[in-house]
Amino acid sequence: MKHPDYTDDETALADSAEGWLKFVDNGYLNKQEQTDNGYEEQRWSELTDLGWASIALPERVGGAAGTLAQVGVALRECGRAGYATPLLSTARAVTLLDLVQGRDTVFDGVLRGVVAGNALALVAPPDGQLGVRPDGDGYLLEGRASTVEWLAQADSAVFAVPVANTDEVLVAVLQTGGLDITPVPSIDNELQATLTPGARVGADVPAVVVPAAAAARALGRADLLRASSMVGGCEAVLDLTAKYALERHQFGQPIGAFQAVRQHLGRMSMALDAARLSTNEALSLEPESPARPAAMDAVALFVAGRSYVEVALTAAQLHGGIGTTVDHVLHHHYRRAKGMQLRSGRPANRLREIHRSLVVRGDGGLW
Amino acid sequence: MKTVIADEQLTFLSDLREYLDGLDPELVAAARAENIEDPMQPRTHCQAFLRQLGEDGWLGISWPKEFGGQGRTDIEHWLFAEELYNRRLPNGLLTFNVVGPTIMLHGNPDQRREYISRIMDGEIIFAISYSEPDAGSDLASLRTRAVADGDGYLLSGQKIWSTGASIATHLWVAARTGPPEARHRGLSLFIVPADSPGITITPIITQGGERTTSIFFDDVRVPATQRVGAENDGWKTITAALNFERMFYHNEPRWELRQLAEWADGAGLLDGSTAESYELQTVMGEHAVDVEVCRLMALRGAAMLAAGQVPYAEASTNKIWWGELRQNICSTGLDLIGAEGTVVDTDGAPASGHLVHGLMSSPVWRFGGGTNEIQLDIIANRGWGMPR
Repeated sequence: MKHPDYTDDETALADSAEGWLKFVDNGYLNKQEQTDNGYEEQRWSELTDLGWASIALPERVGGAAGTLAQVGVALRECGRAGYATPLLSTARAVTLLDLVQGRDTVFDGVLRGVVAGNALALVAPPDGQLGVRPDGDGYLLEGRASTVEWLAQADSAVFAVPVANTDEVLVAVLQTGGLDITPVPSIDNELQATLTPGARVGADVPAVVVPAAAAARALGRADLLRASSMVGGCEAVLDLTAKYALERHQFGQPIGAFQAVRQHLGRMSMALDAARLSTNEALSLEPESPARPAAMDAVALFVAGRSYVEVALTAAQLHGGIGTTVDHVLHHHYRRAKGMQLRSGRPANRLREIHRSLVVRGDGGLW
Repeated sequence: MKTVIADEQLTFLSDLREYLDGLDPELVAAARAENIEDPMQPRTHCQAFLRQLGEDGWLGISWPKEFGGQGRTDIEHWLFAEELYNRRLPNGLLTFNVVGPTIMLHGNPDQRREYISRIMDGEIIFAISYSEPDAGSDLASLRTRAVADGDGYLLSGQKIWSTGASIATHLWVAARTGPPEARHRGLSLFIVPADSPGITITPIITQGGERTTSIFFDDVRVPATQRVGAENDGWKTITAALNFERMFYHNEPRWELRQLAEWADGAGLLDGSTAESYELQTVMGEHAVDVEVCRLMALRGAAMLAAGQVPYAEASTNKIWWGELRQNICSTGLDLIGAEGTVVDTDGAPASGHLVHGLMSSPVWRFGGGTNEIQLDIIANRGWGMPR
């Protein structure tokens, strides 16, 4: 069975996503990475029709009232292909907006816009680089310049930033036109730009202020989509490497016949399992389920990043020279692994947050 | 995505907790102390604890009701084992988690009837006897011979690292019934009473204070009815048992991390904001992550067993993750403690000496049940189709 943890619906979705992504190969990824936009508009409109970003949104805004796990399945296939578009940032942003507005409808217009084809960037710097302070009837964005994926290409930017001297977070949607944005080269094919603070968040934009803990929970859910995308990347790297270990012959036999190579593969397989098991648990169980710790979303994100980097680095070692060239798709995974891991911020900060929840407070879980 | 833990299983866990909380505190404390000291030798208190569980109907969770079990799924069996590990209490070790399930799989009806009920009654305890001085990872080269003799066999040879044999009533012995060149196709598996004439068991003491043994078989008579599976077909039984052993659910790393947390709390580092406490929180945060992954790897194995599948690469993955994590928590935990971590007295030592004891006990976690190098090979071969 290809996806033993998936439901039948999820398997069908994964198969359909895999089918749609057939046009993606290393040459295509190389070419797109060199363009200013980073992706094809025509493909984006096909993605809009497929509706992956809005699967879990309510029907009243045009969503399919599906599950976050389903969105995760679609993004896992994109991650497997190494395919870069604003889909991930858009899907993360709408997950956040839907969760923080609760029964409110303040963001419904933004969500409808995504169903209609808008792309969103998500500005939620993980290590507190940005914040806002009250300014008249609005807020002023302050802090350090921050790198944001797809900010230059997105129609709107969703901000989730702390309000100075409070334990609250402002979630607001701004048009990208009014922001100070400078495109900067990226480690990988996910395009990015630097946002320089100074912009004003007026009283007329869709916004809510929520407790910091609620915003963190919502961001944790949203970031599971990045974790799932990295799991897809891990799976692709394992498949590529196992195939290569059987094809590549040295000393008259496939290199996979050498125990040193098999031990590397065994370690890679364990890393993949760790990423997939933790991400699937976080996606499959509701955050309040007694069967999982409250920090499971953060655990999944951390493990997926650690594993993707580990398997990519070892895969490059097992491929040797060919794996370092731009003619082999591994170079995309190698760079995407570190890029996706780092976009979750400094690992040490994430670990201290996890420590506080799992060890100090013992939030949730069976033990 | 599919979830494998249903509400009724959570009810089972809360019932179990209520039951365990209600047990005689003296019995529990004595069993825990004995289990921490040497977990592979259930002696007076651990045996009394297990008998109590048996009398109260709390053993054999996933075993069929016809054998006196509860007839529940492997998910409940996992919950049971993890809960007991989390309390650092004995859960029946190899007898309940490895030999019992293997007898149900490969034993004949008479063996199932006899041994399963005696295991359930707490009457018999098994020790496993595979390794020999010249046959470790290369188990198929073992030389202990079982020579046909009338309606049985005569067993001769030497076993080593048979942990628990000093208190076991029965040995689970792999022996050669075919020619040496037949390798794994010439082995059979026998159940041998530990007090059979011709058996000499000598102790070996480890650096962690645990006891293992050497066993000498000198023309030990074993009736043919004691052979599990067909003659020369023992490999199947051995590998089934090894898979159960590698899936032998584990929650001790969580317990060890908790010991470290108690020390850190006392030292003011658990939730502080100094450079030292930041370091500790980062290290412990990653251990806590890996403890959750450990839980999920064991749960996956249980889910596969519950679905009638056999975990191979998954069992090996589980075993490596558990052993390395546990050793790592003990070793890096001591790093956080520093010089005081060298104190081994269990009363006055930091973290009650559990981490330093764990570190000394830890080598076997990486080679027991099959070396981690062999496990990585199993993962690459069975999981990813590499040539042998």
